[in-house]
Order: sequence, then structure tokens, then C-alpha cells
Amino acid sequence: MKTMGMQSENEINKKKGSLSRAIRNLFLVIILIVAVSFCVSVYFITENEKRNYAIQNAYKALMTLSNTITSKLSNYSEISRLIMTDERVMTFLRADTENVDNGIINDARYGIMEILNVKQGVDCVMIIREDMIIAATEPITYEYDTVYMESDEWREDIYNAKGRAVITLNSSGIAQKKDGSKVVTIGRAIYDMYTQKRTGILLMNISMDVFEADLRQLNLNNICIVGDDGQYLAGNKEFFEYYDTDYNSENIIYRNTGKYLISGLKISNVPIILLQASTYGNEAVPYAIIYVMIILLMIFMLETLYVRAFITRNITNPVRQLSASMERNKKQGELKRLEDEMPYSELDMLKNDYNNMIDHVNELIDTLVEKEKTLRKAELRVLQEQIKPHFLYNSLETIGFFALEAGADKVYDSLETLGSFYRNFLSKGDRVITVRREVQIVKDYLALQKLRYGDILEDIYDISEDTMDFPVPKLILQPLVENSIYHGIRLKGEKGTIKISSHLENTGVIRLSVRDTGIGMSREQISRVINLSQKDIGENGESSFGLWGTIERVRIYCGDNNVVNIDSNQGEYTEIIFFIKDMRNEITTEG
Amino acid sequence: MYRVMIIDDEESARKLMRVAIKWETLDMEVVGEATSGIEAINIIDDLRPDIVFVDISMPFMDGIEFTQIATDRYPNLIIIIMTAIDQFEYARKCVSMPVFEYMLKPMVRAEITRVLEKAKDRLDKDSREGKINAFLADAASEEINNDKNMTIEEDMSVQIKKFLEDNFTDSRLNLAFVAQHFGFSSSYLSRKFKQDIGKNFVEYLTELRMEKAKKIAGTGEKMFITAEKVGIPDPNYFSRCFKKYTGMSYTDFQSGFGEVVR
Repeated sequence: MKTMGMQSENEINKKKGSLSRAIRNLFLVIILIVAVSFCVSVYFITENEKRNYAIQNAYKALMTLSNTITSKLSNYSEISRLIMTDERVMTFLRADTENVDNGIINDARYGIMEILNVKQGVDCVMIIREDMIIAATEPITYEYDTVYMESDEWREDIYNAKGRAVITLNSSGIAQKKDGSKVVTIGRAIYDMYTQKRTGILLMNISMDVFEADLRQLNLNNICIVGDDGQYLAGNKEFFEYYDTDYNSENIIYRNTGKYLISGLKISNVPIILLQASTYGNEAVPYAIIYVMIILLMIFMLETLYVRAFITRNITNPVRQLSASMERNKKQGELKRLEDEMPYSELDMLKNDYNNMIDHVNELIDTLVEKEKTLRKAELRVLQEQIKPHFLYNSLETIGFFALEAGADKVYDSLETLGSFYRNFLSKGDRVITVRREVQIVKDYLALQKLRYGDILEDIYDISEDTMDFPVPKLILQPLVENSIYHGIRLKGEKGTIKISSHLENTGVIRLSVRDTGIGMSREQISRVINLSQKDIGENGESSFGLWGTIERVRIYCGDNNVVNIDSNQGEYTEIIFFIKDMRNEITTEG
Repeated sequence: MYRVMIIDDEESARKLMRVAIKWETLDMEVVGEATSGIEAINIIDDLRPDIVFVDISMPFMDGIEFTQIATDRYPNLIIIIMTAIDQFEYARKCVSMPVFEYMLKPMVRAEITRVLEKAKDRLDKDSREGKINAFLADAASEEINNDKNMTIEEDMSVQIKKFLEDNFTDSRLNLAFVAQHFGFSSSYLSRKFKQDIGKNFVEYLTELRMEKAKKIAGTGEKMFITAEKVGIPDPNYFSRCFKKYTGMSYTDFQSGFGEVVR
């Protein structure tokens, strides 16, 4: 029952889990959550900062470049205006169709080239008369799409601008560079200064070298310039692949492509899109903030650990200590007050409650024990009163006096022997006595028995003087002698002898023997007496109990099972021999 | 001849010991008995025994108390304590007491004889060595006492007599007590008292107590109460004293007294 109870208690503990484990888990979870949220927030903050940083950079770069290009184009636009006012160009434009010859064209061309000398980067200037006669500075490197030239489509925007510059790509589509390189074209409708009649169109093709030079100058190597027709124009071609028409917007479009932040901007009134690719560099990482957060995190964790240690040291450990003390108390079987110091009054309360309970329990036990003791004492008193040796002794003395007075000395001899026997036999206290006293008991006993069986009993003593003071358990010879009389000699029906011997073996062990010339014992009887165990004794007859009980007492006294030897020849003799060690440490001798 | 005293509350035990032991062959005689420590203390000065057998458990004054008082007064007295086995350990606890031997009851003649022979050897030895010393000591004390003024000494005996008359109902009162009170040795006091007053100290004390007892008996008081009132708390001893003094038993005395009164 008890172990069952213990088990279920343990199970409950397992199910419930200990407070310290719960606290540990709780703190682990808290630390984990804090660490994870810290990492996540640091990640997002970093990412955001990087993106903002990239956006800022992109914005600056795009705006700078956009302004640069715009102003460049307006510069070129001014030049185109100069060209229009050149005398030779005007002559070319004013001349009637049939009058236009190579001379006029060449003049116009020179006129243009003179003006262009001051400005680099112009690949070619084309003056196209209304009748499609062209004066161009670079006649050879271009291939003209004459069919498209005839159509109004490319001219429409320019005409609608009424003389203002219109920026297009690739000579507004009427001519391509033979080497495939791209140009940006400023187109204007030309009106005669005097008549205000439209006389033709001027197309100024600006080489991409201009933009490349700008990019170099501005140190912008992560920008790609794309035409609004989706053609690569200039800059870092690596980023061209990121272009799509969504970037054709005059507001900056930002887009993440994983590795880069791609920002796109269409320059206002110019068919050019600027693509900028920014990497997320570590320069944007807000280290200061992160460091502060890490320090805060550290502080928090240290606090957490401290709180945990605090709880463990001041609550969990004392509770365990208390519990262990109580457990120890239980195991020792003593209900002692606990003396452990408790750090807090609440735990002290617990301890005091336990101590009060212990006191109460002890009081109850004491009362119970006291009651039991009183009861026992009373019972013992009754028993003692019943077998009061004083009464016996006084009676013996009184009768002895009468006997002596009447001259019956023999009666007094017997009474004296009886008294001597009983005062040794009934004595309490001493469990161990000397051989001298033990032999005296046997002598008295046999003297009394001889009064009854004097005709069949003879006793012989062979006691070495050096064994007289040897300590032996009390009353071990008398039962053997009794056994000899009743189970040996009397059954034989003839005169028998009992011999008591006591000698020291050279191993320091005393050899005490009782030998009788009775009927002897069979081997089975001997082995039964020697090997009988406590549980068998109930089933056996009482006849062998005295002998067995005596052997058992000697065994217990010596702490050894091998203390007895029984030698017998059936019909001849029985000798029971004890070998007893000197256990003098425990001895209390007397007389 | 050494003098033996037997103190036991059991009459059979005393009688048996008298009869069973062959005293003459031991060159000893039993000079007296007492039924309690109180009686023993009162008569020991008269009996002057060399050997005392004391039962350890007796009413009014047990063997141990007696031994303490007796050895104070008679340092050379041989005390043999008789005890039943169940009190043996109790007796052994008093090992500091100068007890010659502890013996088990009921007695076995052989054991008693053996111990008595041992005691005799000791007494023989003591008397050989001690006689001269005792004589010298006695002579010395005699000399000192003789030096004192005789009138003061006579005065002293009167004072003691007065002291006894005032205090005899105190059961602690005996020769040793008084001797100690006045600063004499017991033997000197005893001798001096007899010399000056003409009566034995114990006799005189008993006389005082018996006279008082007779008066109380006349009121019809129960014997044990009378005994207590006159300073002899052991009624058995009181009874014997009373009989010895008045020649009749207490109850007889009371009825006779009643007749006289009528």
C-alpha cells in the first residue's frame, strides 16, 4: 500500500511538473521569443534602411542625370536655333527646288559645321526641305528610309510644335546609322524669318558619347539609358535587361529585383528612360541602433537570468530544502522540528506550520506512549505481584526455620537448594553469567531432581578451573540437563549418569558439554534439532522445543550458526556440546 | 568472640540466620536483632557489633540509609547487605558505600560462612593494627576533654539532658546526632552522659519517649500515631520498647489504663 502511494505521488509530481522546471521553461520561452523578435525586427529595420538608402541614392543620381541631360539637350537646342539662322542654311532653304545644287547644299553644310565646331557631340545635322532635299553633315554614315520620309507621321509632332524643339530618337525614324549606333534627335520645324512660312525641318542627331561622357563625369556607372522604344542607348548595358515599359513614367518607379533596387525615370519631354540599379550595401545598415538594441537585449537577458536565479535560490531551493528535510525526517522515523533558515516569511510560515504539526503529532504520540506505558506497567505489576519472589523466599526461610527447629536438617538442606536454584533461575537482568553460576544452577537443579529420582540419577562434574569465570548466556545447561533426564535417562528405565564438562579449547572457545547415558538420539532426530528453523517449530511436538530454543539462543548470542554438536549412539549415550566464543565485551559478571 | 547484629524486618529471616549458622565454630555470637534501620540505629550504641547483616528493603529506614548513618559513626563496622535478586542492581548502585559484601537472599549457609570467614580475617587484622591507634586516639580525646573545666562539663551534660527533653519527639534524634550537635565523639558523649546523669543515653531517651507515649496512650490514640508522635516512627520497634518499658503491650496498657480511669 505504502509503495503504491509513493508511486502515485511521484506520478502526480511528474504530471504536474516541478515549479523550477516550469520556471526554467518559461524563461527559456521568454528568451527565445525575445531573441527571435529581436532578430526579425533587426532584419526588417536593416532591410528598410537599406532600401531607403538605396532609394535616396537612386533618386539623387536620377535627378542629377535627368537635369544634366535636360540642360545638355537645351544647349543643343540653342545651337540648332543658331543653325537655322545661318545665312547659307537660309539660302539653301529659300532656294527653289530646281535651283538647289551641290554648291548650295555644300554651303549650307559648311555653314552648319562652322557652328558645330564650337560644340562637340553632335553626330549629324540634317536640314530637310519641304521637297525632301536634304543637306546633312554626315551623308555617308546614314541610311535613309525614303519611303517613311514621304509619310507625314514622323513630321506631325515636329510641325505641331510650331518651331519648338521636339526630341526623338534616331533621326525621328527616317535614317539609321549604318553602324547601328543610336542617336538622340532634336527636331524643329524651320520657318522663314521674313515670310514666316515653314521651309523645312532641322534634325540634330546627338551622339550617345555625350551621355556616356556625362555618366563618366558624374561617376554613375550603375545607370543604363534606354530609349522609350526599348532600345539600349548608353550607360551600363548590364542593367538593360531590367527595363520594361513600366518605367516610362515621369515619376520615379522603384522596383526590387532581389539583387538590386531598380529605379526608373522617364525624362520629361525626352524619349529617354534612365534606369538606375542600386545594390543593398552595408553602408546603410543602422549599426548604432542595432548595437543599442543588442545591449538592451543583453541587459534583458541578464535580468531574466537573474530573476530565474533569484526565484531558484529564494523560492524553489528553500522549498526543496524544506521538502528534503521533511523527507529526511520521515525516513529517520523521528519527528524533529526543522531548523533550516528560510529566506522569506512566507516560507517561514510553511516551516512553522510544519513544526507546529510535528509538535502536535509528537504530543499525541507521547500521550499515546505514556498511556501505553502506564498500561504496561500496571500489567507488569500485576504479573510481578503474582510471582513475587519475596513471598517465595520468605516462605522458604520460615519453613526452613521450622525445619531446623524441629531438627529436620535434611528438609532445610532441600529448601536451601530450592532457594538457591530459584534465586539464580528467576533472576532478571543478566543475560550473560559466568560458568560458575551456570554450573551452580545445574547443581541445584540436579540436587532437587535427585530428591525425586535419586535412585536412577547420578551427576558428575568436570569443570576446568580456568573456565569458571568464562561468560556464557544464562540458562543454557539446565535445559540440556532437563532434556537428558526426561528424554534420555527416564525413558531407559535404568540408572543413568549425567556428566557436565567445561574446558577451554586452545582457540579460546569454551567447550561446554552435557553427556547422558540415556536412550540416545537417532540421526534424523539430531539433524532435525540442529536444522530446525523457526517456522517448523510450530508443527513439531513441544518435546524438542526446549533443546532447540536453547541452541537458537546460543546461536544468536555468538552470531554464528555453527555452535553446537550433538553426538549420540542410540541406546548408549547422547552428548550435546556447545562451542561458545568469549563475548566478554558484553559481559556483566557477578560473584 | 566477634559480635554480630542482624537487621531484617522479616522475623523468620532473623531467626533462621541465628539457627542455621554455626556461630560458635566461627568464634562469633549474635548479640542482637533489629526490625528496622531506626531501631538498629537506636540500639547499635549499646550492642556495639563488629558485623552487621542488613536487609536492604525495610520500612522506616532501609538498609542503604542505615549503612550511611552507621558507617559515619563506626567506620570499622563490617556491613553485609542482604538483598533479593530483584534489588541487587539497586544495591550495586550504592557502590560508593563501604559495604563489605552484597549477598543474595534467600541465604545459603555455605556462602554466609565463607563471607563470615573473610570478615573474621579482616577483623583480626584490624584489631592487630587498629588497637594501638584506637587506644592512642581515645587517650588523646580523653586528654583534651579532661583539660576542660569540670563544671562546664557537668553543665554540658545538663544541657544535653535539657536538649533531649526539648527535642526527643524528633525521630532523627539519637546519640550520634546529639554528639555531632554538641561537638563530641559518640563514645565520649555516651560515657560522659552515663557518668554525669547516671543513666545510659539511649535508656534516657527511650524513657522520655515512653513517658510521653504513656500519656498519649491514655487519650486512646492509635499506636502507630503515638509512635510517630514520640519520635519512633517504626510501630513494631515502638511496640517492643513500650512493652519492655511498661511491662505490658500497648493495647493492654490502653485497656488497663481505661479501667484505672474508671
